[in-house]
Amino acid sequence: MAENDVISATGTVNAVDHADVTEMLSFEISDAIYAIEIKYIKEIIGVDQITIVPKIPDYIKGVINLRGKVVPVISVRRRFDMDEIPYDSRTCIIVLEFEDGEQVGIIVDRVQEVVDVKPGDISKTPDSKNINANRYIKSIIHLDNDIRLLIDCNKLINDDRGMII
Amino acid sequence: MAKFEAGMEAMADMYVFETTSLLDELDQILMKTENESGFGEEEINEIFRTMHTIKGSSAMMGLENMSKLAHAIEDMFYIIRENNPVISSPEALYDLIFAASDLMKAEIELISGDDYEPTDFSEVMQKIEEFVAVLKGETAAPSAPAETQPQAQTQEASSDSNNSGLTKVQVFFEEDCKMENLRASLVINRITEACSELNYFPSDIETNSATAKTIVDKGFEINFCPGKGKTIDDILGIISSTSNVNRYDLIHRGSAEAASSAADSNMATVKVHFDDDCKMENLRASLVVTNIKDVCYDITYEPADIEENSESAKVIVEDGFIVHFDADKTAAVIQAIENTPCVKFYEFVENAAPASQTAPAPTGETAVKSEAAAPSAPAAKPAAAPKTPASKAPAKPTAEQPANTAAAKAGGGKQSLISVNLNKLDTLLDLVGEIVITEAMVTSNPDLNGLKLDNFQKSARQLRKLNEELQDAVMSIRMVPLSGAFNKMTRIVRDMKVKLNKDVDLVFEGEETEVDKSIIDQLNDPLMHMVRNSMDHGIEENVEDRIAAGKSPKGKITLSASNASGEVIIVVADDGQGINPEKVLAKAERNGMLTRPANEYSEKEILNMIMLPGFSTNEEVTEYSGRGVGMDVVRKNIEKIGGSVSVESKFGEGTSFIIKIPLTLSIVEGMEISVGDSIFSIPINSIRESFKVKPDQIVKDTNGREMIMIRGECFPLIRLYELYDLDPKTNDIFEGIVLTVESDGKCACLLADKLIGEHQVVVKPFSPLLSNYNIKQQGMSGCSILGDGSITIILDVNNIITDF
Repeated sequence: MAENDVISATGTVNAVDHADVTEMLSFEISDAIYAIEIKYIKEIIGVDQITIVPKIPDYIKGVINLRGKVVPVISVRRRFDMDEIPYDSRTCIIVLEFEDGEQVGIIVDRVQEVVDVKPGDISKTPDSKNINANRYIKSIIHLDNDIRLLIDCNKLINDDRGMII
Repeated sequence: MAKFEAGMEAMADMYVFETTSLLDELDQILMKTENESGFGEEEINEIFRTMHTIKGSSAMMGLENMSKLAHAIEDMFYIIRENNPVISSPEALYDLIFAASDLMKAEIELISGDDYEPTDFSEVMQKIEEFVAVLKGETAAPSAPAETQPQAQTQEASSDSNNSGLTKVQVFFEEDCKMENLRASLVINRITEACSELNYFPSDIETNSATAKTIVDKGFEINFCPGKGKTIDDILGIISSTSNVNRYDLIHRGSAEAASSAADSNMATVKVHFDDDCKMENLRASLVVTNIKDVCYDITYEPADIEENSESAKVIVEDGFIVHFDADKTAAVIQAIENTPCVKFYEFVENAAPASQTAPAPTGETAVKSEAAAPSAPAAKPAAAPKTPASKAPAKPTAEQPANTAAAKAGGGKQSLISVNLNKLDTLLDLVGEIVITEAMVTSNPDLNGLKLDNFQKSARQLRKLNEELQDAVMSIRMVPLSGAFNKMTRIVRDMKVKLNKDVDLVFEGEETEVDKSIIDQLNDPLMHMVRNSMDHGIEENVEDRIAAGKSPKGKITLSASNASGEVIIVVADDGQGINPEKVLAKAERNGMLTRPANEYSEKEILNMIMLPGFSTNEEVTEYSGRGVGMDVVRKNIEKIGGSVSVESKFGEGTSFIIKIPLTLSIVEGMEISVGDSIFSIPINSIRESFKVKPDQIVKDTNGREMIMIRGECFPLIRLYELYDLDPKTNDIFEGIVLTVESDGKCACLLADKLIGEHQVVVKPFSPLLSNYNIKQQGMSGCSILGDGSITIILDVNNIITDF
């Protein structure tokens, strides 16, 4: 199960005693690897029943019952304008919790591991005239020959806020 | 929380809560007196006490600036109270106190924050001092240290002489409790009310922190005389119940008690003598005390230290053992004394004078042998009646209600109110919600299907009834009247009246309406914004305009609240100039906010545009229409608590903001229906009936819209799967089920796949992410979790009908 994957993944984390090291969870969507700062993550669960809520943008898949709390879930694939694939045993919902207590689940293809990221590993996203190309990407992380794209959680959730009449 | 000394953090919460409510109280008193133009004696006393409490508790928290400011105000009111000066400019006085109260409130906010730096209050302190100087007639140049110094000396003198009828107590605090001087001042604060005379040493505890050391070394010395209706033991009780007090030593028990309490409740005094050579008289005396306490609790005795001090045995042998008790219980007490072994005889003492070592004991001439008939109660009464030279009678009324409650809050004395952390109540409410869901889980468990369970059903019904009662009880705990939130507005209106130079009346209606506490907390900001808006832009700038429009020159803002079908409706209405819809529309068009041609918007839609986010930032709109400052904030805040805001305005006549909020995070009775894979709940009180449609009931209008004819009336048909773009099990109207729903007098028919059943559901508001998409307008008011863990969406019939 997806949850077991995560536990084994976190088990491999090396203890690094640098204070400025940020822990990040990396996950896969399509062929790319993304990362999210661990401070936002409340828990990771498998995909269960999602209740459809009508009249909302299609990237919000609906709501789930997280132990008595109703939490909306969004599909990162749809948010990135990618085609959706059927959920399988590796599809996960990462439940994010923001400072104001709001919880939102994001559906990702596969959760990888928790990595320690030093400030030196992070570089800026390239400037681009096409804003949409990286509007949800905060920065790029180079780590062990892999490139991970750090997602800006607030933008991912809040981008449309205040724009609807 | 800001950093406090170790062990203080826990108290900081309480301090913030208490001081905030005290400051609110202060504001209310001030508003009241300002309107009535004049302080009554009671109000002055109340303000005085409020400040005194704030001073004491602030000092205890180590917030010197707060305590000093409170002290300054206290001083000012002391002068007002004692000298009763003619206040030449009451406005200045009010402004001054309001300013101070605002500063203190701001400071409290800061304290709740993480990094707290004490604010410098010296500016307002300066003003207060100046004002005080004026009050004093500019003759007395106040120099606080100079005043306290001589006081301290006289204090020493009086405490040394030890000749007064005061009771002398030495109080010791817990080791390492820190700031003993302030704790001592807390003790003083608490007993002040109950004492008619009070002095203490060191006397400069509040200003001189060095006194802490003296107190640690020598104890804190208090000399007091209990006030009317209080006994020495009452006072001692208060002292020992004060936090951090370790112990106290009774050095000298004063006589005043007997006098003052005799005035109130008749005290009789008996001197008991024990058998010669019976030894350990002190312990025998304590046996007497124990026996008497069985019948009469309220007793005192001399010597008081019989249990600890064996030397007292000698005193008892020489002078006898003196007991004071309630004369009404004389017979029972005498009985108790007689029954105690080794009692040789006892005598009634005529004069309740102090029986300290120096006082000559009455001679045995008046003694009544115990063998003789027990004296009757009436005989005892005159014995107690003669009064000792009366101590200074208490000049002011001793106990006034508000101060008492404040004191009780601080001390946790006996009272029928408690303050509970809101988080605990939230947990309780959540639990009740869970219980309701679990109950549904048990009683409609699929395992029970097809079983005939009469007894089970009976118990289930009882459980449900109890659950409903439990819900009601929990809800009622959380209900708070709106008057608190409304009263805060008085202050805003007052300030703005002065600033904008507009004459406005603020009128409350239905402020006793109750709403859930968590909702009230969210209401303050929106209400403030709306009242400000009404003041600033609603009410006309010039009085001439109002008169020209045929209105009274005095503006009026009405705050009203009422209950209507599970909702609370709050209206902020002004009789000002109203909103000009054309200007709003023009502005919206310029900002590119219109999604349809301008002429397609209804007036209602246009008015509601002022609450759109894009509108608030634009100053021009404010200038034109007079609305828009922060209105999107209002909308957001209200929606956060599951409510809605709308505007109604007649150009030239006034504007009303109508807030509808749920009574509480409520539990509603809902009918569950299914449409495709989705389950919806419709509040049962909006359902009229449900039925299968017959072909001859269907009518179509010229646009092809379906309608259903029920008993000669036509209602529009809303197919839910079309409304919500769902994939139904059937789109055949004859297979599905039709529900007639009603809201606000309007009816419609909803087509669903099938009925599932009736359940109680706990309404959970949509997360902000979803409410952002205006799904409330689409007829979804919230969601709920069903017994099987699935989620149902609760439909709001009103919005479905209006929008269809």
